[in-house]
Amino acid sequence: MTDLSSFSDDGLVDALLMEVAGMLGRLIDRGETATVDLRGLPLSPACISDLEKRLGHGEISVQLDAAGRSEIHETGFPGVWWTRHCDEAGRLIALLIEVATVPDILRADPADLADGLQRLAGATHFASHRHARHA
Amino acid sequence: MDEPETLGSVLKRRGFSRRSLLKFAIAMTSSLALPPSIAPLMAANLARAKRRSVIWLSFQECTGCLETLLRSSSPTIDSLIFDFISLDYQESLMAAAGTAAERTLREAVAANKGEYLLAIDGSIPTKDGGVYSLTGGRSNFDMLMEFAADAKAVLAIGTCAAYGGIPKAHPNPTGAVGVEDLVTNKPIVNIPGCPPVPEVLSGVLVHFVSFGNLPELDDRKRPLAYFGTTIHDQCYRRPFYDQGKFAKSFDDEGARQGWCLFELGCKGPVTHNACASLKWNSGTSFPIESGHGCIGCSEPDFWDKGSFYTSLAGGSSTGWRNAGIAAAVGVAGGAAAALSARRKPGSESAERDPDKPDLDKQP
Repeated sequence: MTDLSSFSDDGLVDALLMEVAGMLGRLIDRGETATVDLRGLPLSPACISDLEKRLGHGEISVQLDAAGRSEIHETGFPGVWWTRHCDEAGRLIALLIEVATVPDILRADPADLADGLQRLAGATHFASHRHARHA
Repeated sequence: MDEPETLGSVLKRRGFSRRSLLKFAIAMTSSLALPPSIAPLMAANLARAKRRSVIWLSFQECTGCLETLLRSSSPTIDSLIFDFISLDYQESLMAAAGTAAERTLREAVAANKGEYLLAIDGSIPTKDGGVYSLTGGRSNFDMLMEFAADAKAVLAIGTCAAYGGIPKAHPNPTGAVGVEDLVTNKPIVNIPGCPPVPEVLSGVLVHFVSFGNLPELDDRKRPLAYFGTTIHDQCYRRPFYDQGKFAKSFDDEGARQGWCLFELGCKGPVTHNACASLKWNSGTSFPIESGHGCIGCSEPDFWDKGSFYTSLAGGSSTGWRNAGIAAAVGVAGGAAAALSARRKPGSESAERDPDKPDLDKQP
């Protein structure tokens, strides 16, 4: 049986690349971020693979462990990111092209920052007490 | 009394970061076909969300819908979302039975009056006073009308609850109907499918928990995000249809090449569902990917519309005929016909409702 995943449509990939170029232009001109949800489009695995190849790989790769693994890399085009989110069972739950200086999910959330500060303060308080006991 | 806990505080206690919730929201906005830019708002709303009560009644059904939903893949946050749905009554799952179960039901309704979601699976028999399906001596009809009255909305889960389904198939001996044939004064969400795609239910619930309302529906009261397109629109074999490459039998060269199954009776061009995008068994595949055409199980009266193996383009498949002929003449024609079929449910419902409810008739 023919491997249907090998069917790719160059026209569709070209159209998507043009859309991404438009988004990148708006990021530069107006600071507007944008996202393409690749799973919402009728793309074959080969199309997605072609798209990923044509976007290439840039300087940054990030692995995120939050309720499952996510892999994010900047493509060969700065500001265009390839994002792959999986759940804890390893199942793909989102496949995105993000157009942004930095993808939102990489930024620390203010609530997490405050929580981190509290824990850090607690840890340093504990450390100073322990240090005082041993002095 | 303590304030109910928010999902955000539960997540924090269980060691999940806000990134986890944002990631979940990204996946759900993708699933609900919402703009990806709305994910941060959904994550923020979910963090503040509190538990919502769901009362689930099973009527004339085979339990396939519940089985499917229980076997949906459950990433951790999905499970938490289900924790945030307080399933206060479900006869197959709850430990309580008899009068204890009935008391639980009354208490849940009283405590959440006007706020709970009523989930229904199975059709409602209306012939002979509804005697063909009773729970604790009460007819499904009586229970539906009583508990729908105080519900915020009703979820009709599966083709039976949505349209009557297989119990309604000709000659419909029990006078089976769907929820929307009886409940007319409440918001209804139809989640058809035999069984329905489990992720559609989680999507509807997440939308309800995070935004406090129901997702956008089409004219058949189905979540537009999942039922807005046909199986054919999303099918990875669609390029073969466009190229006119069709399998002529299940074991010919075309079938081996994975060509379009239209001529083998696939109902994908007239069936609205998310099987081709969400797939089944944790995203493994869907029927067309396994080599069998779509049987149109999420459409009204799919059982009575002719053979699963007769092409939409002709033969004796009269039930699908209008949309089918248009689909056969070309992509644009098929899409237009499918759209037209979706926008004119009245004509079809008139055709599919020969059995008027006769609840006034006592056995």
